[in-house]
Amino acid sequence: MALFAFFQTILLLVSLSLRTCQSEVLSEPLPLTPESLDVSINSAQRCLHLQWRVHSLAYHQELKMVFQIEISRINTSNVIWVDYYSTTVKWNQVLHWSWESELPLECATHFVRIRSRVDDARVPEPRFWSNWSSWKEVNEQNSLGHKASSVFPVDKLVEEGSNVTICYISRSHQNNVSCYLDGVRMHVEQLDPNVSAFHVNNVAFVRETGTNIFCEMDPKDDAGTVLFVSKVLEEPKDFSCETQDFKTLHCTWDPGSDTSLVRKQPYQSYTLFESFSGEKRLCEHKNWCDWQIAQDSQEMYNFTLVAENYLRKRSVNILFNLTHRVRPMTPKVFFKNISATNATMTWRVHSTGNHRTLLCQIELHGEGKVIQHNASIKVNGEYLLSELEPDTQYMARVHCGDANHFWKWSEWSGENFTTLEAAPSEAPDVWRDVKSELGNRTVTLFWKPLSKSHANGKIRFYNVIVENLDKPSELEPVPIPAPANHTKLALDQCSYRIHVTANNSVGTSPASVIVISGDPGNQVEEERVNVTADGFSLSWKPQSGDVTGYVVEWCDRPQDGSCDLQWENLGPNTTSTVISSDAFRPGVRYNFRIYGISTKRIAYLLEQKTGYSQELAPLVNPQVVMSNLTSHSFTLSWKDYPTETQRSFIRGYHVYLKPKEGQCHPGFEKAALSDNSVCCKYKIDKPEQKTFVVENLQPESIYEFFVTPFTSVGEGPLDAFTKVTTPDEHSHLLIRIILPTVFCVVLIMIVCYLNSQWMKEKCYPDIPDPYKSSVLSLIKSKENPHLTIMSVKDCIPDAIEVINKPEGSKIQFSGTRNSLTETEITKPAYLYLLPAEKNYSGPGPCICFENFTYNQAASNSGSCGHVPVPPTAPSQRGLLTSLENLLKALEKNYMNSQGEIPAGETTLNYVSQLASPMSGDKDSLPTDPPVPALCSEYKMQMAIPLGLASPPLSENSSVSSVTLLDQGDHHH
Amino acid sequence: MLPAAAEPAAGDSWGMLACLCTVLWHLPAVPALNRTGDPGPGPSIQKTYDLTRYLEHQLRSLAGTYLNYLGPPFNEPDFNPPRLGAETLPRATVNLDVWQNLSDKLRLTQNYEAYSHLLCYLRGLNRQAATAELRRSLAHFCTSLQGLLGSIAGVMAALGYPLPQPLPGTEPTWSPDPAHSDFLQKMDDFWLLKELQTWLWRSAKDFNRLKKKMQPPAAAVTLRLEAHGF
Repeated sequence: MALFAFFQTILLLVSLSLRTCQSEVLSEPLPLTPESLDVSINSAQRCLHLQWRVHSLAYHQELKMVFQIEISRINTSNVIWVDYYSTTVKWNQVLHWSWESELPLECATHFVRIRSRVDDARVPEPRFWSNWSSWKEVNEQNSLGHKASSVFPVDKLVEEGSNVTICYISRSHQNNVSCYLDGVRMHVEQLDPNVSAFHVNNVAFVRETGTNIFCEMDPKDDAGTVLFVSKVLEEPKDFSCETQDFKTLHCTWDPGSDTSLVRKQPYQSYTLFESFSGEKRLCEHKNWCDWQIAQDSQEMYNFTLVAENYLRKRSVNILFNLTHRVRPMTPKVFFKNISATNATMTWRVHSTGNHRTLLCQIELHGEGKVIQHNASIKVNGEYLLSELEPDTQYMARVHCGDANHFWKWSEWSGENFTTLEAAPSEAPDVWRDVKSELGNRTVTLFWKPLSKSHANGKIRFYNVIVENLDKPSELEPVPIPAPANHTKLALDQCSYRIHVTANNSVGTSPASVIVISGDPGNQVEEERVNVTADGFSLSWKPQSGDVTGYVVEWCDRPQDGSCDLQWENLGPNTTSTVISSDAFRPGVRYNFRIYGISTKRIAYLLEQKTGYSQELAPLVNPQVVMSNLTSHSFTLSWKDYPTETQRSFIRGYHVYLKPKEGQCHPGFEKAALSDNSVCCKYKIDKPEQKTFVVENLQPESIYEFFVTPFTSVGEGPLDAFTKVTTPDEHSHLLIRIILPTVFCVVLIMIVCYLNSQWMKEKCYPDIPDPYKSSVLSLIKSKENPHLTIMSVKDCIPDAIEVINKPEGSKIQFSGTRNSLTETEITKPAYLYLLPAEKNYSGPGPCICFENFTYNQAASNSGSCGHVPVPPTAPSQRGLLTSLENLLKALEKNYMNSQGEIPAGETTLNYVSQLASPMSGDKDSLPTDPPVPALCSEYKMQMAIPLGLASPPLSENSSVSSVTLLDQGDHHH
Repeated sequence: MLPAAAEPAAGDSWGMLACLCTVLWHLPAVPALNRTGDPGPGPSIQKTYDLTRYLEHQLRSLAGTYLNYLGPPFNEPDFNPPRLGAETLPRATVNLDVWQNLSDKLRLTQNYEAYSHLLCYLRGLNRQAATAELRRSLAHFCTSLQGLLGSIAGVMAALGYPLPQPLPGTEPTWSPDPAHSDFLQKMDDFWLLKELQTWLWRSAKDFNRLKKKMQPPAAAVTLRLEAHGF
């Protein structure tokens, strides 16, 4: 070997030396420089393809060489890639090398150069690099065409998760470049004045119309592109094939994600390839494909399903024996011989080839249950469905699978059917309600509808037969059409046996028998029932003897009067039960009656219980009536308050009393009400006690009371207190005195009225009217014109009567009133009788009629004559002045009396006998000389002689008499 | 208004009443108000106007859906791209003076031609739509637009104008230009919808103008009769 190697080396050296000699002869260096470099572009793939030759190699010579390749971008000095490519070079061989650019090649000019070096062991060291080839420029920018700007790559299709570099090229220099990827601004890097670029890592699928990239700059020059991001093509899942008829294989799979993109990539294609036959089929559907089975009875199949889109290809493979992939066809089902309890199901499975044995499952659905049966068949199957319920709808279905090599069940195939009716199997549950009225009994028979399992069909009617046990008679059934659940019977006091049967279209149920005894039955005491979380817990004493069972009855709705009678049958050994119902409501009292049923079917009441499912506080308080009110006590009663219909058991009552003072009465205790007020409370423990006497009260005092029931869950609502005032202790005595007195006064008044004429004659006889006198006619008949009847109008007042009270200090006048008291009222009471005329100097023949109505004292004294006035009486002027003052005082008094003088304190009374009002008279009253006023309005007291009559001076001076009267003290 | 009617002389109230009676008496005889005769193009112009308003409303919804389908920036409200590939679309914008001076015939012809083209383009758009819901919406709109075209044709026929005949072989189509990038294609879709909207606005104005113009001068007739009354 060593010798052989030695000779080979010698040969190579000789060869090289020969070439060297030759080159030396040609005066050229060793020409190993790569030549004919050609660079082509694949824009879509962003690839540069380089090809070159090494011309300097000798014919058939092979030499191992290394090529260094440099790639620059934009300009030659910007080397972005240096790579080495080692290969064995043959004479005249074209060498290839490719490079994929991250940046779209349209974005920038690229430059490529290459050099080589011998890397063959046969060539001794040192080995030198050849010279670089010249730079080869690669420029795709002319793809901009006539456009001012563009974004690259154009309509690029990438897979989700790829990294993409985008560039924006414009003819003009770019300022303020903004690029948006689906509306999101990207960070842009400027590669040169006309080119900007940005990277997008791990691109995501956004929409099937692609992800829009839009760039704009200043000056406005917009451009955009669409980046189509496809979802990654998935491997088909659950790929399987099966046959039903040995003619067609039906293959299915789950395609996974849809990778289609609008206008860019269609839905991924699926191709089925079978390796044994070498056949291939392009599937039309995205998730299934049918394969025609050849007639040559091929048993084994090896399928490959290939999914493919523009970016990727995925495949799955299955190998199977055809007979192991048989899924029988859907059976066809029929029913026959349907009776009340049985039905026969038949089915047929069409051609599975070669009469293979099939395993079938039968399911019977009915009454909420599912019963499963199995059967083994060839083509036709039959199964008897037994123990069915009458008049019931069932659904039976079947599916089959290959018994030898089970692959899959066929589709279910089923039908509904309904069994026929049968006679009701059980007697209806019957109960009764007996009401006795005036010797007759109204019996209401109730029955519960039979359950479906016992009715065995639709109940059409109930037959009721009433049998008189005391007087045997012909039995006549009374049909009651369904769905009635009760009927009323009017019975006398005899005992009756009642038979009730339910009937459907097929037959009659056993009879339910109940006996209504003539005995009215016993009365039992009501007890309270315990309530548990499950309901009313009832228990009763076991009955010795012939008890065939117990019945508990109650009303579900006692509160609205409809009762809705319910009952529960219990066995003879049962002595307790728990009654619950959805109808039970809190705050409603339920009564339960427990009956024992004798062997003769007679029900007799054993116990009666009452209770609440939940007690609630009372909603209403009693309407309390207060009676027997005395100065020390009163009685409260609320007899109308119904304790039975309350929302809980009434345990008693609380009587609240607000005392006059802080102390509570004996028997009462202090209690705080819900409104935080404090009052006295008396507790009545007996619910049947509905009266209460409140005692030990103070006369003439106000008390407030309030009565409320109390129960185990609280009192009634807090209502308003009722006020009561105790009367005076002596008020009854007063009543005893006042009533007779009033009676007497009324009696006297009646007597006086009846004898009024007599009284009038006695006390105030009529004053004769001269004008109506018969004398007048006599005078006129004598024709004496000078004779006439004296007119009261012509009467000149002759005296002013002034009565005053000695205690002037009590007069409450002010102003002018003082002068009055100083000048006159301070003097002892006196009476002035003043002459009415100036020249009047002595007592004249003047008659004075005193009006006793105004002056009782005068009347009593009997003084009716003229009182002479001494000449030394105060001057007329002074009197008039006094009179004027007095008038002023009176006017003032009159004016003030409405508001200033309190009632009962008036000490000065003015009683005028004149009809003329005082207003205005004062001003016109003449002062000097005094003029006698006319007596025209003085009709009752005066009569003036003819000779003294003179014409009136002034009508205004009509004040002729002023009387000041003191109560109970008169002076003349 | 007629001066006599505006300023009735004192004591002319009987004259006015007589005039009113005369007017009422002659009303059935006035051709413009006689409803039993040919109603003229008025109602069909009104219907066409109503249809443009309805389509305008309908397009607003459709364009929103379609532009969302295209994605940003096409569905952004302030997006205003250059009209690069949409030169073949009939332009709705026109100088105001030119528009005002358009004859009825030319106005209607322009409308008819524009909607004929736009309908073809829209049907192409429908064919390319990816989602069934979008295709349904576009098909519904195309039907409505076909109705508008028929309505315009009806108005033109009522006014006695012939329908413009398309030159053979110049049927407009809206199929993707292979030279067009997908972005430019989307831009064309955008412009199609935008131009359609502008046309509907313009048509509403066109038919409103025609409507006013074609309205029977009922008031003038009445006044003329009033003059007879006096």
